[in-house]
Amino acid sequence: MKFRVERELLTEALSAAARVASNRNNAMPALSGVHMSVKGDSLVLTCTDNDLSVRSTLSVGGARDGVAVVSAKLISDIVRSMPEEKVTVDAQGDDVMVSAGKSQFTVPTFAATDFPNILVAGTQPVAISAKVFGEALGQVVRASSSDMQRLALTGVLMVAEPNSVCLVATDSYRLAVRELPGATMLGHGAEIVVPGRALSELERMIGAAETMTMALGENRATFEVGGATLTTTLLNVEFPKYRQLISAHYPNKVTTAREPLLEAVRRSRILARETTPVRLEMSSNLIRLSVITQDIGQVVDELDAKLDGSEITVGFNSQYLMDGIDAVKGDEITIESTDPVKPAVLRGVGDKNYLYLVMPQRLTS
Amino acid sequence: MNDAVVARRRTILHVDMDMFFVAVELRRNPDLVGKPVVVGGDGARGVVAAASYEARRFGVFSAMPSVRAKRLCPHAVFLPGDHDLYSRVSDEVFEVFRTITPLVEGLSLDEAFLDVTGALRLFGDGVATGHEVRRRVKQLTNLSCSVGVASNKFLAKLASVEAKPRATRNGVEPGHEVFEVKPNHELEFLHPLPVESLWGVGPVTLEKLSALSIKTVGDLATFNARVLVNVLGDALGRHLHELAHGRDDREVEPDREAKSIGHEETFSEDIKDLDTAHDQVVRLADAVAARCRNSGVGARTISLKVKFADFKLITRSVSVESPVSTAQAMVHLIEPLLARIDFTAGVRLLGVSARSLSEPELQMSLFDDATGEGAANDLDAAWSTTTRAIDDIREKFGDSAIKPVSSLGKKRQPGSSKWGPSDI
Repeated sequence: MKFRVERELLTEALSAAARVASNRNNAMPALSGVHMSVKGDSLVLTCTDNDLSVRSTLSVGGARDGVAVVSAKLISDIVRSMPEEKVTVDAQGDDVMVSAGKSQFTVPTFAATDFPNILVAGTQPVAISAKVFGEALGQVVRASSSDMQRLALTGVLMVAEPNSVCLVATDSYRLAVRELPGATMLGHGAEIVVPGRALSELERMIGAAETMTMALGENRATFEVGGATLTTTLLNVEFPKYRQLISAHYPNKVTTAREPLLEAVRRSRILARETTPVRLEMSSNLIRLSVITQDIGQVVDELDAKLDGSEITVGFNSQYLMDGIDAVKGDEITIESTDPVKPAVLRGVGDKNYLYLVMPQRLTS
Repeated sequence: MNDAVVARRRTILHVDMDMFFVAVELRRNPDLVGKPVVVGGDGARGVVAAASYEARRFGVFSAMPSVRAKRLCPHAVFLPGDHDLYSRVSDEVFEVFRTITPLVEGLSLDEAFLDVTGALRLFGDGVATGHEVRRRVKQLTNLSCSVGVASNKFLAKLASVEAKPRATRNGVEPGHEVFEVKPNHELEFLHPLPVESLWGVGPVTLEKLSALSIKTVGDLATFNARVLVNVLGDALGRHLHELAHGRDDREVEPDREAKSIGHEETFSEDIKDLDTAHDQVVRLADAVAARCRNSGVGARTISLKVKFADFKLITRSVSVESPVSTAQAMVHLIEPLLARIDFTAGVRLLGVSARSLSEPELQMSLFDDATGEGAANDLDAAWSTTTRAIDDIREKFGDSAIKPVSSLGKKRQPGSSKWGPSDI
């Protein structure tokens, strides 16, 4: 196997591979590798950790057909560091040689036969709008948990509603719900939980693409976008009952410009540590935002706002609050609340399709 | 050797207060000076916390049952101990240490490591710095201490033992006051010492080493490292091998935060039923939780310590994801542990301690989890307001102004009979 390719092109494909490749499976070292296969001028890169697989195809200058498996992390780092624009990859015997200009690396290969077969969802793919789906993933995946001890919360629920599909994620501190009106990728009544990690990789793959497809199998889903394929196993878990967390009515509702609020929270994070809440004092025409971190300092910011309901002060984890304000679409945002110990809801004014629920942080003083 | 070289050589002091608890008692009651004084529980099951050198002449030493101490030295003055006072005086002493260097790592109330490498330029060499520490401590607190000087923590600690005054049959012999293990002469000092002087050699390890005919540190140093690792396990084997060659590169960690907060109590009568034990645990947990809150921390691990009538000691722990800092949450976590204890043979000591300390969790959860650890955190949240009120009351009116119902009518505060209850 031998090919020559633009460094940037290969770097991009290999970084995705390195993120997917398992880095903790000592029992199956080949899983930490990227499978490279050259046929003519086409290079297919495959990576898997058995749960998540990504396959991408690149146009290269093929010199010799063949297959090699090599450490994804190593080759990704090597190619990125190469001094010249053109990189040559040449597999001979048990080694792979990566060269550019006068630099040359030689690294050992894994046996290609140890690399697992990638199973894809076998059903008919459904076309979906990559633009809308990508945006929805950006709004929802951020609320999923990365704590593998709480497996159900590491997933994103995709549930078919009448005339729409809902994407839902929660890490038990915040909850994001995005509705996709008119979406048809799930059959009537269907409900799946997709690992957040796979969807976050998918969001990167989607980038600026316009179209994509999704196929749903018994226990896996396959997405295809721009010549790359991502397959993930589905989580066999019971997703928490989330609907009861969302009230139909909140007594206090404050409306303010979204971007200035986002900037104010972002600024305040210079002083906010994980445990110091951002305090929002909401009054009739003002949101007063403050952070007081012992021994570090304090910050106060004021934003014009309109309040329906009673004046109220609520504390939030700054990261959770910032994630929510950032995910909401539109120029204006509303924050609805009941009291300082009940969840608050963030929505974009005029956007009925997304809400971000966030549980406050207790204020100690 | 020029100054720059002297200044760079790592120099660690181990400062050990001389008979600290006793010395503090003598300071407030000078009439006792020169008399045998014993601090500790004086009841039937008390233990000695500290003994003056005059009492040590009669063979009294720390951790000895008080009954035995009384037999050995019947004319000694027995004092119950005042932990709060010792703790305050300890703070004073540590403040003095910090006038020498900010790199002060306390090991207990009465001993600390000082990394004085950067302070040598001011005071000269390690020995001169050691004398300066003694002078300032004496001047500012009227207490004396002994100082070990060496190139690392482990040797400095051994050196301070050499610096201590010694009690002999004929009286108290003053010690070296400051003792240095000289650079490049570490092994001459170390190798003749018995192997149990090394950190990490407890009774079990000592037995294993004896079986290999290893008696001195020198024996250990020349012993085949691989065999040692086979016998003692990887971590301990390597650790001891390093120490035996005088190597210890652990840094002095200043202001090390408390690793655990705990209270334990030896009871005047063995506890034989769960209900009584539960009441005691509530009391102890209340005190532990209050101290956690005072320090602004919560605990992710709560431990229950039980010493049975036959002195068998067990510790059981439970861990939660988010730190707790109320008595209610701690008791909730301990209850299942307590329920598994067999009280029929009698329990003489119970202890509750909080570990894995970190700032308390303020973030609330969307889900009400009615079982397991979630419940502990919910309890913590539910009681946080009430608990703040309790803390306020205690601040204004003292610790005994408000107590758990189960400890009403009991006079003793947790910790007041740390070394065994008084018979009074």
